[in-house]
Amino acid sequence: MDIELICLLSMLAVFLLANLLLKLPVSVSMILGAIVGALVGGQGIPVRHLFEGTFTYVDTMLIISTAMLFMMVVQESGALEALNAVIVTRFHKVPALMLILLMFVIMFPGMITGSSTAAVLSAGALVAPVLLMIGIPKEKAGAIIAMGAIMGMAAPPINIPAMLIGGGVDMPYIGFGGPLFLLTIPCAIFSVLFLGLKYCRNLDIEKLKEGLDTEVGKKYGFKLYLPIIVLIVLLVVSKAVPKFPQLGTCLIFLISAIVGLFTGKRFNFWKKSLEAMETTIPVLAKLMGVGMFIQVLTLVGARGWIVVSCLGLGMAFVYISTFTIMPAFGAISSYGAASVIGVPFLLVIIQNTSCNDIIVAAVLAFTCCLGDLMPPTALAGNYAAQIVGLKYKKVFLNCVIPFLFCIAAAVAVIFNTNALSFLSA
Amino acid sequence: MKKIPKHIITASILCIFVIVAVVYLTIVFRSQHKEEPIYPGPGVTDMKMLSTWFPALKGTNGDTEVYILDSGVPGASMLVLGGTHPNEPSGFISAVALVECCQPTEGTLYVIPRANNSAFTCTDPQEAAPMNFTIDTQNGTRWFRFGSRATNPVDQWPDSEVYVHASSGQQLSGSETRNLNRAYPGRADGNLTEKIAYGITSLIQQEDIEITVDLHEASPEYTTVNAIVAHEDALELASVALWDVEDYMSITVEKSPKNLHGLTHRELGDFTDTMALLMETANASQGRLHGRIDADLVVSGKDKYYARAAKYGAVTVPYDETGISLSERCARHISCLVQFAEQYAFVGDGTGMSLGSMPSYKDILTNGIGYYLADPQ
Repeated sequence: MDIELICLLSMLAVFLLANLLLKLPVSVSMILGAIVGALVGGQGIPVRHLFEGTFTYVDTMLIISTAMLFMMVVQESGALEALNAVIVTRFHKVPALMLILLMFVIMFPGMITGSSTAAVLSAGALVAPVLLMIGIPKEKAGAIIAMGAIMGMAAPPINIPAMLIGGGVDMPYIGFGGPLFLLTIPCAIFSVLFLGLKYCRNLDIEKLKEGLDTEVGKKYGFKLYLPIIVLIVLLVVSKAVPKFPQLGTCLIFLISAIVGLFTGKRFNFWKKSLEAMETTIPVLAKLMGVGMFIQVLTLVGARGWIVVSCLGLGMAFVYISTFTIMPAFGAISSYGAASVIGVPFLLVIIQNTSCNDIIVAAVLAFTCCLGDLMPPTALAGNYAAQIVGLKYKKVFLNCVIPFLFCIAAAVAVIFNTNALSFLSA
Repeated sequence: MKKIPKHIITASILCIFVIVAVVYLTIVFRSQHKEEPIYPGPGVTDMKMLSTWFPALKGTNGDTEVYILDSGVPGASMLVLGGTHPNEPSGFISAVALVECCQPTEGTLYVIPRANNSAFTCTDPQEAAPMNFTIDTQNGTRWFRFGSRATNPVDQWPDSEVYVHASSGQQLSGSETRNLNRAYPGRADGNLTEKIAYGITSLIQQEDIEITVDLHEASPEYTTVNAIVAHEDALELASVALWDVEDYMSITVEKSPKNLHGLTHRELGDFTDTMALLMETANASQGRLHGRIDADLVVSGKDKYYARAAKYGAVTVPYDETGISLSERCARHISCLVQFAEQYAFVGDGTGMSLGSMPSYKDILTNGIGYYLADPQ
């Protein structure tokens, strides 16, 4: 047995032992797994590598932290309640259209930023109360938000995994819009209708109005929505206008949050900020643990073992791995899946077939994005569950059918790339 | 939402541990700012900083040494860029070898061993790369820095989610924001990486450099490897050089794609009068398929997983258990550089260029690249 495989098995065993039997947090379990992997691999306790690995996610952690502040401000200022009232009263007569529109709202920040986390924590947090109010169960609402955020992350114009895979083979990020729209829009519509339509066919608006707070909207008027408008405008302008200063997603969330302090109900910003950060620290710690884990996987050679073992099983297994191992790798990192597995898989597929390389890359990127559903990291899933007040397990189970639908769509596209090549023109 | 329970004693112990770790790691990471010595050989007539050509770089971590090897005989000029990506060591070591043992006999050679000096001061998270590696010379062992593909985030951060190349509007992953070879021709008022690119472009323009060669490495599974990538204006030079070197090495010439922006072979050819070329050798420590990574892999190039992947048809270069050593990769670079210089007289404006008696491909393979580096004493 290869020493690299022994290292991998040791890391997984210690992680599972610590997490499931000793009931330690995922983050601590991953750190222990990484340390044991390094020891088995003869690397001692590689403090430098453990520390360096955490830096992979510094940017993501900052986005999560600032998005949490924005979400808290929108909730506490009353903007969220007012927005819910408007959406429900305007669209309750056409529930299917309402659900599809809400899904696009969830997707939008992900489309602009390429981050499912940003989508969940901004639009997802805004839409969640609406979904719950119209009668969709918590676990289904959480699944809608998670799927919507992932479809937003995968949809054009910004798909970071596609950029990472393309960057690995010097393929410019051109021609991805068509294939990614083809994959994401039908999957998003299927997901939201499958999960939510049966619960809102016969909405009783009068009953719904009893649960809505329409007063806060009347009291503060249009200015109540300013933080949301500022967020949308800055996200769009900073991407659409190249000469506009690149503020970055973190600063945009912060600016929007600060605007929200002056547009609605007053609250103790310091106290509420601390509460918001306390709830997000376990997720940030999890990301740091994942960073350490993957760095040690590389250090001891287990990363190479995983990828070469997949390649060694032939083209059929490369395709099977694309739709199984690649999204499963999202349990560690969906971006990592794009870089570590996506690049060699794309090279193998385009070298051995006559497929349209852009569409193959788009499919690989799409399946990488689905990895954001995979526990323990499950960036989109965990936060979606947190927003609806559930453990992720229940939400995850409700994502299974939409997930399989997405995989089926990806399979259909990858085996018809030449017929669909007009999409990448 | 669930609150985190407070454990004061546990938190205090962890805080102390973190403080100790941070102090220790600060020392470790700061040590990467120490540069390995480069010993200018008899051919070096001058050494200037890149800020000579673009003063805004002065005092920044992007400023870097430019070694000038003037033969004293009028002729063409050539610029060699090593260390554009400090995790691709054959480019860096080949450039160091030129500085230490090249004696041009016609024309002027400019060498920048650490093109992205900032990127030598860090390593890439998730890659678990060694911070340095060693090479045995005739009279001792020398150490060299193994760095990152990108500018140190301490010098330039944060990255935007999407990197937009300034002059073309091309979009790439935000991680390319700090990649020097996606920043050309650079911007005087851009970020540090764009300023470094602008400084190199300025040097080429102000010194009327006729040939520019950017030395790189790629993973063995990459499609463009063991290759010369040439701007259309340099295609003839690359092809003529190929006639000689393909007698003893397998190598291809590829035309620079017009829709891939920011790279030396595209932008320096478009924005200056230089003949822009880029070379790639196969580096097993750089790819995604390698096993355990350490300094030995960097130098020996031997990796059992790449050997397995080659049997599966998943790599694009000949690769077996013997690996592709750093010496072999440097031999490829140096042999081609010699040929670019020699053949320029036939495809350029008639002026000549010669690097003198550089070691041959076979010599470097036989003796190892360390044999041609200066004595560390």
